[in-house]
Amino acid sequence: MTPWSLLVYGTFLLGGAAVYLLLPRTDRSTRTAGAILGIGALAAAMAICGRYFLDAGGLNAVFILSATVAIASAVMVITQVKPVYSALYFILLILAMVPLLLIQNAEFLAIALIIVYAGAILVTYMFVIMLSQQNAESVYDRRAREPFTAVFAGFFTMAIIAGQLAQLPAPRILQGTLVSSAAASPIQTEPEADNTEAIGETLLAQYLIGFELAGVLLLVAMIGAIALSRKRLPVVAHAIPAKPPGQIGREVPPY
Amino acid sequence: MLELLKDQFTFSVILALVIVGILNGAVAYCIYFERKISAWLQDRVGPNRVGPLGLLQPLADGGKFVLKEDIIPANVDKPLFLFAPFMALVLGFIGFAILPWGGSVDLDGDGVVDVIAQVADPGIGILYLLGIGGLAVYGVVLGGWANNNKYAYFAAMRATAQMLSYEIPMGLCILIVVLTAGQIRLEEIVLAQVGNGNIWNICLHPVAFIILLTTVFAETNRTPFDLAEAEQELIGGYHTEYGALKFGMFFLGEYAHMITGSGMVIVLFLGGWHLPWIPGLQPEDVSIGAMLLKMSVFGAKIAVFLFFFMWVRWTLPRFRFDQLMRLSWKGLMPISLALMCYTSVLVYAGKATSLAWCLGGELGVVFIVLAINAMRTAPITGRQRNMPAITVHKPAGAP
Repeated sequence: MTPWSLLVYGTFLLGGAAVYLLLPRTDRSTRTAGAILGIGALAAAMAICGRYFLDAGGLNAVFILSATVAIASAVMVITQVKPVYSALYFILLILAMVPLLLIQNAEFLAIALIIVYAGAILVTYMFVIMLSQQNAESVYDRRAREPFTAVFAGFFTMAIIAGQLAQLPAPRILQGTLVSSAAASPIQTEPEADNTEAIGETLLAQYLIGFELAGVLLLVAMIGAIALSRKRLPVVAHAIPAKPPGQIGREVPPY
Repeated sequence: MLELLKDQFTFSVILALVIVGILNGAVAYCIYFERKISAWLQDRVGPNRVGPLGLLQPLADGGKFVLKEDIIPANVDKPLFLFAPFMALVLGFIGFAILPWGGSVDLDGDGVVDVIAQVADPGIGILYLLGIGGLAVYGVVLGGWANNNKYAYFAAMRATAQMLSYEIPMGLCILIVVLTAGQIRLEEIVLAQVGNGNIWNICLHPVAFIILLTTVFAETNRTPFDLAEAEQELIGGYHTEYGALKFGMFFLGEYAHMITGSGMVIVLFLGGWHLPWIPGLQPEDVSIGAMLLKMSVFGAKIAVFLFFFMWVRWTLPRFRFDQLMRLSWKGLMPISLALMCYTSVLVYAGKATSLAWCLGGELGVVFIVLAINAMRTAPITGRQRNMPAITVHKPAGAP
C-alpha cells in the first residue's frame, strides 16, 4: 500500500461519504457537510489527474475545469429532490463532457452528444417529469431509499477500477491530448481528414454491416414500442340517429 | 492593426463583437418593423409618435422594459424562473457564430487569403445549428415550468412536442442539401452552389426548401406555429408571469432565433452571400470591399426573410394542435424522407446537381402527394367518427 494508492482509495472513500451525506433524507439535512466533503474529494481527484498531466508535461485547464463540472453535476443529478433539477443537471453534465471530447478532436461525437442527449432524449424526459409532478415532491423524491448500499456498491466498484488504473503510467490518450493542445509543440500535426468525414468513412466503409444492423435494431425497437403502447379501440359503428318523421334534415359530416 | 487582424482568432473575436452589436440593434428594430408591417397589412398607421416615423420607438420600448418593476411572483421556482430568459436569449444569439457572412478575405491585397469572415468554422458545420436548435426549446420549457401556472405549463408541453416533431423534417431537409453539396461546412455549401453553375439549391430542391422554411417557422414559434403563446387559449403561454426585462429577453430571443433560422435557410438554399453574375460577389473576390458587399447581400437576404416571417404572421391564422402534429408527422416527414432517399439515389448515380433530374424528382413527389390526397377521404379532425353525427333540423314550416 503505497501513499499513492492510499490517496486514490482515500479520494473514493471521501467521495462516497460526500455522496452519502448529500443524498436527500427526511429526518435531518446533512447537505452542508456533504458539500464540504465533496469539494475535498473533487480537489483530491483533480490532484490525482494532475499527476498524469505533470508526467505528460503540463496542466490542461480545460480538462480540469470540465471534469470538475461534470463530476459535480453528476452528483447533483442523483442528489436533487426535484426531478426537473436532476434532468437539468444531466444536461449540464452532457455540456461539460463536450469540451472533454473537443480536446481530443472528437468534434462529431461532441455535437452528436448534444443533439441526441440534450436535444432529443432529455426533452422527452422533461416532458415525462413535468407531466408526473409539477410541484409537490413525493416521498420517494425526498428520501433516498437505500443510500448506504447504493453508495457503497458504486464507489467500491469505481475505487477498484481506478486503483488498478492508477498503477499504470500516464494513459496514451492524455499524452496525445497534451501534445496536440500544446501550441508550441513541434509534434502538432493537422488531422488528415475532418473528424466528421473520418467517422463517416469508417462507419459506412469499414463497419457498414454493424452500422446497418444497429439501424435496423432501432427501427425494430421503435415499431415494437408502437405496437406495445397502442391501445386497440373497439370499432364503434357510425351511429346515425333516425330522422324524426316529417322533418327535413341535413347531415353535417364530421369536419 | 492589419497585421493583428490577419490572425483568424483576433478577426473572429472582432467579427463576433461587431455582428452581435449590429444584430442587437437589428433585433430591436425587428420589433419596430413588426408593428409597422402589421399596421400596413391592417390598413393602420402604426407607431409614429416617437421620433420621425416613430423610428425611436425601439429605444422607448427598451427603456420601458428596463424601467418597469421587475416582479417575481411568490410561487414560482425562483432559480429557473430567472434562468429561463437568459437561456432563450443566449441560445438565440450563439447560432450567429457559424453563419458565413462574407466568404474568404484577403486583408492586405497580396493575393493570399488571410481569414474567413465567419466567427467559427468547425468541422461539424451545419450540425452545430441542429444542436443549438435542439437546446433552444429549453428556454420555453423551463420558463413554462418555473412559472408554476397551468397555462404556462401547457405552453411548455406544446413547445416540447412541437420541437420534437419538427426537428425531424428539418434534419432531413438539411441532409438533402448536405448530400447534394457533399459538404457539411456552411461556407463549402455556399461555394458548392456557386460552383454548380450558379444554380442555387432552391432551383434543385424547391419542395425541400418549402419544407425547411415551414420547420423554421415551427422552430422559432412564429405564427402559424405559435401555439406555445396562443393568447386566446393560454393567456401568454410560457411567458405569462414574466414582466419587464425578463419578458423583453424572451422577445429578443425570438427575433434572434428568426435571424439565425433565416440565415440557415439562406446558406442552405439561397447561396448565402452570393448573387450570380454580379462582380464583387463571386468567390474569387476577396478584398475587404467585397467582404462588406457580401455581408450586405447576406443581410439583405435576411431582411427579406424577416419581412416574409412578419407577412405570414399577420396573414395566416394559427394551427390547431392536432393539425400541427398531423402536418409534421403525416405530411412533411414522409415527403422529406422520400426526397432524401431520391437525392441519395441521385448522388449514387452521379446526377445530384443535374437540374432536370432533381426537379423531375421534386415534381414526381408533388404529383404523388396530390394523387394520395385525391384518393383519401377527408381527414377526421375535430369530431371523431365514432361520435354521433350532428343533424341540423329546419324548423317546421320553413321553405
